[in-house]
Amino acid sequence: MSLLDAYPLQHYLLVSAALFALGIFTLVARKNAVAMLMGVELILNSANLNFVAFSRYTVGNFSGHLFAIFVILLAAAEAAVALGIVIGIFQNYGDVDADALDGLKG
Amino acid sequence: MSPTALALVQDLRLFLPEVILVLTTLLVIVLDVTPVRKSHRALLYLTFCGLLLSGIYLLRHYVDLRESGGRASSSNVLLFGNSIALDPFAVYFKGLFLLVGLLTGVLSIRYKKLNPAGEGEYCVLLLCSTLGLFLMVGSRTLLMAYLGLELVSIPSFVLAGFQRDSRLSNEAALKYTIYGAIASGIMLYGMSLLFGLAGSLDFAAIRHALEGQTELRASPLLLSVSMLMILAGFGYKIACVPFHMWCPDVYEGAPTPITAFLSVGPKAAGFGVILRFFYQSLSTHSGGGDWTPIVDQLQWPIVLSVLSVATMTVGNLAAVAQTSLKRLMAYSSIAHAGYLLMGVVVLSKDGIFAILFYLAVYVFMNFGAFLFVVFLHDLVGSEDIEGCRGLGWRAPFPCIAMAICLFSLTGLPPLGGFIGKFYLFLGVIGRELYWLAILGVLNSVVSLVYYARVVKAMFLENIPRGEAEPLPVPFFYSAAFAVLVAPILLLGVYWAPLVKLARYSSSIFGA
Amino acid sequence: MSHILSLITFIPLLGMLVILCLPRHQKDWIRFVSVFSTALPLALSISLFLDFENGSKGMQFVENCDWIRIPDYKLRIQYKLGVDGVSMPLVLLTGILSFLAVFASWETTKGVKAYFALLLLLETGMMGVFCSLDFFLFYVFWEVMLLPMYFLIGIWGGPRKEYAAIKFFLYTLFGSVLLLLAMLAFYFHAKENPNVLDPMDAFDLVRLADANVRLTFTGLFWQVVFVAMFIGFAIKVPVFPFHTWLPDAHVEAPTAISVILAGVLLKMGVYGLLRLSLPILPEAAAWFAPFMAALGLINIVYGALVAMAQTDLKKMVAYSSVSHMGFCLVGMAANTEAAMMGAAFQMFTHGLTSAMLFLLVGVIYDRAHHRVIKDFGGLAFQMPVYTGITTLAFMASLGLPGLCNFVSEALVLLGSFDAYRTTTIISATGIIFGAGYFLWCFQRVFMGPAKERYSMMPDVNGRELFTLVPLGALVVFLGVWPRAMLDTMTVSLKNVQDAVASATRGG
Repeated sequence: MSLLDAYPLQHYLLVSAALFALGIFTLVARKNAVAMLMGVELILNSANLNFVAFSRYTVGNFSGHLFAIFVILLAAAEAAVALGIVIGIFQNYGDVDADALDGLKG
Repeated sequence: MSPTALALVQDLRLFLPEVILVLTTLLVIVLDVTPVRKSHRALLYLTFCGLLLSGIYLLRHYVDLRESGGRASSSNVLLFGNSIALDPFAVYFKGLFLLVGLLTGVLSIRYKKLNPAGEGEYCVLLLCSTLGLFLMVGSRTLLMAYLGLELVSIPSFVLAGFQRDSRLSNEAALKYTIYGAIASGIMLYGMSLLFGLAGSLDFAAIRHALEGQTELRASPLLLSVSMLMILAGFGYKIACVPFHMWCPDVYEGAPTPITAFLSVGPKAAGFGVILRFFYQSLSTHSGGGDWTPIVDQLQWPIVLSVLSVATMTVGNLAAVAQTSLKRLMAYSSIAHAGYLLMGVVVLSKDGIFAILFYLAVYVFMNFGAFLFVVFLHDLVGSEDIEGCRGLGWRAPFPCIAMAICLFSLTGLPPLGGFIGKFYLFLGVIGRELYWLAILGVLNSVVSLVYYARVVKAMFLENIPRGEAEPLPVPFFYSAAFAVLVAPILLLGVYWAPLVKLARYSSSIFGA
Repeated sequence: MSHILSLITFIPLLGMLVILCLPRHQKDWIRFVSVFSTALPLALSISLFLDFENGSKGMQFVENCDWIRIPDYKLRIQYKLGVDGVSMPLVLLTGILSFLAVFASWETTKGVKAYFALLLLLETGMMGVFCSLDFFLFYVFWEVMLLPMYFLIGIWGGPRKEYAAIKFFLYTLFGSVLLLLAMLAFYFHAKENPNVLDPMDAFDLVRLADANVRLTFTGLFWQVVFVAMFIGFAIKVPVFPFHTWLPDAHVEAPTAISVILAGVLLKMGVYGLLRLSLPILPEAAAWFAPFMAALGLINIVYGALVAMAQTDLKKMVAYSSVSHMGFCLVGMAANTEAAMMGAAFQMFTHGLTSAMLFLLVGVIYDRAHHRVIKDFGGLAFQMPVYTGITTLAFMASLGLPGLCNFVSEALVLLGSFDAYRTTTIISATGIIFGAGYFLWCFQRVFMGPAKERYSMMPDVNGRELFTLVPLGALVVFLGVWPRAMLDTMTVSLKNVQDAVASATRGG
């Protein structure tokens, strides 16, 4: 069953899928810790877009919007903690490159 | 008051254990910043009080649930607009988490790397994480599962990197954070897809939506993809293959009490969420305590059983080559995630029960082993197997206790770990998954190889000629080992009460 | 209800707890407690043997209560102990050998407290295996033995002790997890057929062997279960090709532990077959009998040939055990009255003689500090008493008429001649090989010119005599009056034999 509107749902889904793919690509391609965190942000936002789009088009209530707001909130918290840790790393190693972290092996 | 507000107050009354945790957290924060002179570890003891008080209210909930009719359907209470369940299943897990929190605190008392200045933050983060665990196992919606998971994750990122001046600890924290963020991101994307397919965030509503579709509107492929993505988030918490890569590094780098916490708390909560999600959203109850996958094209038990075998095999094989005790325990905990997953794939009440039973024993075994790591670090200054050489002759009691924990992890009778594995295999064979059972027991045999290496180092190597020079063991350690080992031995010879409790707590989801 | 079996099983455990409470430098007290807590079970098992009613069909001295009972789960584990003609001799044997093992370990200096504590724990495990009538309980005791054995070999053993200990541990653990799976198979069979077997009774070994119940264990599935159980037990026996742990464990283990290993632990495999595999799964047993006979034959001949090639005295004795245990397998496969009797009696007689042999090896190792056969020579002059006792043990082992092993091996061969003619004839050559290596070894160790380096070697001392003489006396006594033991076993073995025989006829 197709769900076509003036701006069909598929558009949103495609954008979100592209965002997700970009996020994954960033994670794979970049070794800088900050850049990797930015990749994670892309993934989170792709999910947010999905939530809001589905909520608007197929579900018809605000539960998806609600979810998206929570995600934004937690993403901020997560970013704060992650950056704090990155600063700690920078103080100890002088670098935030993931390849430089080789103290733990086995 | 409006009816909604009234209902909210009503619900808060049933949310008291969590509320107490929050209040304790606030109290610790306030006390930490006020310039009062505090005796050593005072805040830690305050945390203990908060956890115990929360436990008292939890016990009251348990009693209330029992009295309100015994049958599962009537004792399921849903809070805050159906988003949190208060059922025996959740209460059982919450009891475990309080125990985990307490034991983590106990391990921290003498943990030298924890300096008094950071004590307040440490306690706050621990309490927050415990609160997150509570929310995780109670969750009835995707949103609550996500929130609970993040509330566990974010404080534990900080806890893993708590020794800011230690490079290893920092490194562990960063790895944990990045892997955690990726896993939860992927999980979120999966959740958003599932939300679109089923049109709801509620576990039960998702099942209804999927059941109602005679002709599956969503393609099974999309459903499978979203399920696998959600599994990434949960799998990260329980450290199952292929989401286990963070585990050894983080376990080694994190402060030892936190490692112990991570190896039990989030893992148990992960299983709680997995059970709720997979049994409530993706399976139909087919009577007699058995479930079937909701959609024929979505045979998730097969996926999970393959993951289970892969997890235990990878964990056990990698553990064999380890020299660090903490890394060894990390791989052992990966392997245990594999064993416990066997209980999920059987899709039966017996499986849930086996997981609940095993987790209770697992708390004691794992904390016993990590207490030994703390002990070793405290008295010998090492965290490697090398440091245990001949220690059995100098400090017999802690080493015997450690050996009991390790043999129990292997699954040898008459120890609690054997009984736990026994029920797991009982569940697996009951579902005629013979190949899984055989691979599982073979894995147990393999696990003996590395557990025995530690025992060998303690007792078989470096045997002193004549009288050994005894190592003075502080009373604290003897008492703590006794407290942790006694339940393992007791559950090995008389485990009926725990079976009754776990049995009762597994009668959820209308079975 | 008498509690004599519980006492026999748990007195050593109590002794262990007492020892753990003693300070570690009180070595004499520790030894005294060990003597006391092995002497008491020995005395009790002797009285048990005297009170045993030979004609009675069922289990005797039964103790029974629920251990774990969860009605909602339909799972009951019983604490059920009892003995019949199959287990009675083995309880006695365990009592004797554990008691003697304490004396054989008298001179242990390293970690005395731990050593005796583990030895007593081991005795509890062994007694428990022979007494338990519940599969779960049996399994628990079966595994309880592993840990003390691992430590006893691994701490007090020879140069390659760590390797030998872990090898023993892994082999037996592998075997026992197969047993565990088999155990679960019975439980689920009961759950599916509650009208045949109440699931609450699914671990009850007496109920499982009931004629109505065992008839339902038919088909390929139960053949697989039988094979799984057989492997579990075969590792303990040990049956070729699962025997490779044995020479290592035996050679590295201290003397007293070798005695227990050869005397009791190897018997557990055969006992398991007699108690569980044959009476509960007779149809599968009948199907498997030819393979069992073949494996027994390989054991006998291969063990004997390898024993002949050994240069180490202890290794030779170890391989002779492999050879002798083969007779038990052949006897059980043949399933005639005489053969069964021979197999069961062989367990007891081999327990006596192998214990003697290992004690004797220990005696000479304590003095010469090596065990290389060809480096000895002419010991007959220096150690006349030792030579005499060794002669008796060697003669008994090679099956000299008038000594007990002759009776059991002859019974096996007589009984299996009709069923497996070729196998029996080839097996008989095993006895000839046995005579070969024992006599050859005797010649190299005791005959020939006396060697200067052994001239100062003292003869056996009083403590060693105390461990050897009772065994020697029993070897002679049972050689001339085997009925003392055979009468005990007759009725129970007949039950097993009938079970398998009816399955053979039926199928």
